[in-house]
Amino acid sequence: MINGTVVDLSRVQFAATALYHFLFVPLTLGLSFLLAAMETVYVTTGKPIYKQMAQFWGKLFMINFALGVATGLTMEFQFGTNWSFYSGFVGDIFGAPLAIEGLMAFFMESTFVGLMVFGWERLSKGQHLAVTWLVAFGSNLSALWILVANGFMQDPVGATFDPVTMRMQLTSFQKLIFSPDVQSKFVHTSIAGYVTAAVFVTGVSAFYLLRERHVPLAKRSLRMAALFGVLATIGVITLGDALGFVAARVQPTKLAAMEGLWKAQSAPMPFNLIAFPSQSAQKNYGMVQVPDLLSLLVTHSLDGTVLGIDALERQAQRRIERGIPAVQALRVLARDPTNAAALARFAAHRRDLGYGFLLQRYAPNVSQATPAQVRAAARGAIPPVAAVFWSFRVMVGLGLLMLAFFVLAALYSLRNTVQSKRWFLKAAVWMIPVPFLANECGWLVAELGRQPWTVFDVLPTWMSASRHSVAYMVFSLIGFFGLYSIFIVIELYLLVRAIRLGPAEPGGHGMLAGPTVPAAAYGAKAQG
Amino acid sequence: MRTFLYFLLFMVLAVVVTILAAILGAEGAWYFAWLIGTAMLVLISAAGGALLDAQEASAAAGRGPS
Repeated sequence: MINGTVVDLSRVQFAATALYHFLFVPLTLGLSFLLAAMETVYVTTGKPIYKQMAQFWGKLFMINFALGVATGLTMEFQFGTNWSFYSGFVGDIFGAPLAIEGLMAFFMESTFVGLMVFGWERLSKGQHLAVTWLVAFGSNLSALWILVANGFMQDPVGATFDPVTMRMQLTSFQKLIFSPDVQSKFVHTSIAGYVTAAVFVTGVSAFYLLRERHVPLAKRSLRMAALFGVLATIGVITLGDALGFVAARVQPTKLAAMEGLWKAQSAPMPFNLIAFPSQSAQKNYGMVQVPDLLSLLVTHSLDGTVLGIDALERQAQRRIERGIPAVQALRVLARDPTNAAALARFAAHRRDLGYGFLLQRYAPNVSQATPAQVRAAARGAIPPVAAVFWSFRVMVGLGLLMLAFFVLAALYSLRNTVQSKRWFLKAAVWMIPVPFLANECGWLVAELGRQPWTVFDVLPTWMSASRHSVAYMVFSLIGFFGLYSIFIVIELYLLVRAIRLGPAEPGGHGMLAGPTVPAAAYGAKAQG
Repeated sequence: MRTFLYFLLFMVLAVVVTILAAILGAEGAWYFAWLIGTAMLVLISAAGGALLDAQEASAAAGRGPS
């Protein structure tokens, strides 16, 4: 039995690593396509201002990209170091998308990033534009493969457990990459990156407009980001709805936690706008409800209902009872893989094997599990409701705030009056952290909502971790926190410095060129 | 001859896109929607930049309010 503290520390370490990494990734995903848009205008119109824009925002992209790669690398190693049972159990499925992601990131994306940075003077306009587009697609396609791997953890399709090899095996690569969860999650995450980049570009442009610096560049950047952002935010909300619709079918416990739905209700179900869920009392306090809305949101019908946590616990209890013979049969097969009776018994109960594993945390010998232990395991099959409930509401609230922000930004920009709306420009600068916070909340909803599983319904988190000592975990956790905090400080320092310096003079030497230096400054130096 | 080659290129692209739409559509069309949607986002954003140039040129020529 793995020490529970080690499992918790492993979870904290992975969560910290992923949350740090996810501060960098969305900006890379979105900024790459905004660069493609700016350079497309440059190539089609030939106006140098768009080249200056592509180079300036490209410099900020590079700072973020470098630190994103640095934080992402360690995360992949953690699967092996801290989650070795998990890696062995699902490595045949999980390994392939991760390997493809590595190839995409380090061969396609990095190669073209190099060409994009150093190719301004060496490639033709058309060639450089093609490279920028390939950087954008490369960044997003490498994210796709990570999300294919994550999608398998949420909805494990295209694989089956082999009782002879004692591990999961891939049965359909097509099902793996085309699972509804993967598809909707990839598009939701990718477009959330577009929104992040659009808010970032709008905010920095607003900063320049407030200070009346680099006005032509800032006005054009703000216009392009506002239009990009308003459409992308609509896309994020659409895909968020699709993800909820998928979750209602494949992860009902996550959906029930997101909605704070302790007991099933008749249709049309009300939506808990505000509530304070208590896991121990299994009820909500201080509820503010919107009538009928939940049925509409999660089933797209006024007649639709979803299961409450009470029903899901009863369902889990039945599955745990059916999973006990699967675990017993597996123990026989571990000694004698050819035992026909054990193979037949396993085949009859294989669907509920994960629930048998879940019970082992409460009753190491499942054959002697008491009804109280089975009930405790069933209760443990529900994710932490309050954390998921509030992360979801913060994410949605911020998403709606960003939609309103971009509609206003697009309106002011299209009327060409944004420069005179100083209150809006100040608000735009303060909006910069909002999408980052929304992204982190989205990650929490997805991953906390999956608990207590690493692979939903198949492999519980408690048995996925490596057998490290508590001291080792504490030491490495402090190391990660320290190192990643330094990365964040470096990123902020470099970004703020590059923004303060501003864009290079048109006709400068690529993304690595220095800032604009007014001609008067040269004169002053010469005279002084 | 050049026009014909362009025609062939775009026909091949159209066929590939149609096949992709058919395959992906059967499984759920989100990947396809992402491809089309991203291209649309970038082009609308680019058009917005070009429109600003036109607005400023028009304002400078005194033909419009902005």
